[in-house]
Amino acid sequence: MAVAARPVEEMPRPNIPSANIQLPAVRSYQQVNDEIIATLTPTVAWFIGLGIAITALLIGIGTWIYQIYMGLGVAGYNPPVMWGVYIITFVFWVGIGHAGTLISAILYLFRAGFRTTIYRCAEAMTVFAVMTAGLFPILHLGRPWKFFWLIPYPHWRFIWPNFKSPLVWDVFAILTYLTVSTTFLYVGLVPDIAALRDREVNPIRKRIYSILSLGWRNSDREWRHFTRAYLFLAAFSTPLVLSVHSVVSFDFAMALVPGWHATIFPPYFVAGAIFSGIGMVFTIIIPLRRWFGLRHYVTINHLDAAAKLCLFTSLVVGLAYLTEFWVAWYSGNKVEQEYFMNRVFGQWWWAAWIMLTCNMILPLTLFSQRLRRNTTWLFILSLFINLGMWFERFVIVVPSLSHEFEPWQWTTYAPTWVDWSILMGSFGWFSMWFLLFIKQFPVIAIAEVKEIVPPRLRTHAATTDINVSGQHVDYSPETPGEHE
Amino acid sequence: MRGVLGVFRELDAAVDAIAELRRSKAGAITVYSPTPRHELEHALAHGPSIVRRFTLIGGLLGVTFGYWIAIWVSDYWPMVVGGKPIPSWVPYTIIGFEVMVLVGALSTVFGMFAVARVPRLMMTVGYDPRFSDGDYGIWVECPPDREAKVTQVLQENGAVEVRRER
Repeated sequence: MAVAARPVEEMPRPNIPSANIQLPAVRSYQQVNDEIIATLTPTVAWFIGLGIAITALLIGIGTWIYQIYMGLGVAGYNPPVMWGVYIITFVFWVGIGHAGTLISAILYLFRAGFRTTIYRCAEAMTVFAVMTAGLFPILHLGRPWKFFWLIPYPHWRFIWPNFKSPLVWDVFAILTYLTVSTTFLYVGLVPDIAALRDREVNPIRKRIYSILSLGWRNSDREWRHFTRAYLFLAAFSTPLVLSVHSVVSFDFAMALVPGWHATIFPPYFVAGAIFSGIGMVFTIIIPLRRWFGLRHYVTINHLDAAAKLCLFTSLVVGLAYLTEFWVAWYSGNKVEQEYFMNRVFGQWWWAAWIMLTCNMILPLTLFSQRLRRNTTWLFILSLFINLGMWFERFVIVVPSLSHEFEPWQWTTYAPTWVDWSILMGSFGWFSMWFLLFIKQFPVIAIAEVKEIVPPRLRTHAATTDINVSGQHVDYSPETPGEHE
Repeated sequence: MRGVLGVFRELDAAVDAIAELRRSKAGAITVYSPTPRHELEHALAHGPSIVRRFTLIGGLLGVTFGYWIAIWVSDYWPMVVGGKPIPSWVPYTIIGFEVMVLVGALSTVFGMFAVARVPRLMMTVGYDPRFSDGDYGIWVECPPDREAKVTQVLQENGAVEVRRER
């Protein structure tokens, strides 16, 4: 039986192997420099955004001073719920950081081509997210000026660290992660800063870029050792991504608390962290590519590939949620079963259903290619994912502590305005650093983008543009994947 | 230090020039490119980078230190639980792993800077800002009597600009 042919505009876009994603509208190395460096010029919208971020940060700082003066009681703690919004937000921000290293390191090792134009943004997000997370253990202290007592090293105060404690592992993991992520970001930036140095006309900025570029000259000796070192850094960062959130999950899993003491926690946390990080990458990169006019760098094909990764991690997270219930039922442990009933149908049903809806149900829409390529939907979904992943940590922390073994201990917990203000301040802190970053350094890796732009040749000039299938064709604005 | 600098617009022109310069043994060649290219690497035929040695040594030192600090602290301030051995290698593997990654990564970067001779405090001769933009550069360090020959090779292979520097 004959089937009517579908009009061309209604046909689905071809699924492109992620390694083959190219930039058909980018035709030369000079164009890469011109267009990416042009994004560094500050605009009115950027100043407004920075002003909002700094205002949020100042509100957070003011609230923190109030909390120090009044004591931690103003933060809504209600024994035995002595971990609340601060620890939830700590885990949330550490998790956000994971997508950056996944995209920059793991996808680099796997030669996933779609990472090239989004990794710098994700890597910067990682560093600033971990910097934000690092504030929360200090915010959680009654006497924050003694924060250095937390650092586990043998010292004259005779508070010797217990290396069998997950809280000590946490310090090692987070500090290693922050150091290696920052190093990875900076090393990748050096050739790009050299490009900025060579173009800069303002003598003060030129001097600063000269110092930061370390006299980089793009020589063969530098590139030979740079590419090898970058590979090794990626190889080190890969297990680090998996280890850090595993260690964070041990903070919970090593405790004999219902809902926490589970061997599924490390992979569950790692998948959740990557999922939340990709959500935040979408939240940042979708407006950014529009405002900076970089839609031909971060194309729909790039977003489509990242959305598939998002869908995959959502499925892993969803499986972990369901496995938790199965384990509680199969264990025959009454306390565990009671706890999970309370989580979903009892006291905390609203938080659990926000989590399940945002992280497990809504991302299923990404099975639709049309929605994966719809930037408006991706952006809205990313906001839901951010919300859902914050509530996932809420659901992990609060219901367990408020519903432990002894019924007389059962209680409730309600964050106060202090918690919300400091949460808002953390977003202000993160946004401030990110906004400052994107106007001082290229938000897309110039040198790496040039690697996928066909070089200029004198012998044959046919390799100028590449279509969605990876074949070289003439560029036109209608090229699939170019514009939404 | 004196020599000749050639600026190329096309990659294959630069590759051809490198091949001929190597054949003529004109002098030490430094190639500049806006991005790493395998074609240039193959033309220069350098050996593998020795950064890997820094990575290996740093990683081994890190993992040793990580285990050592945990074992030493446990032995110095023992907390005996259930008569079990005081050092416990399973949790100490986390410390060992994290310190291995930290020291290994930092020594890789240190090694990369050391062997690539970065940081460079002065922009010496033989560099042009165009090399971070879109052009390729070949700097041949050679005595004055070979400069004419090198200039000729660079020009014949399509250099858009050739200049002598010292």
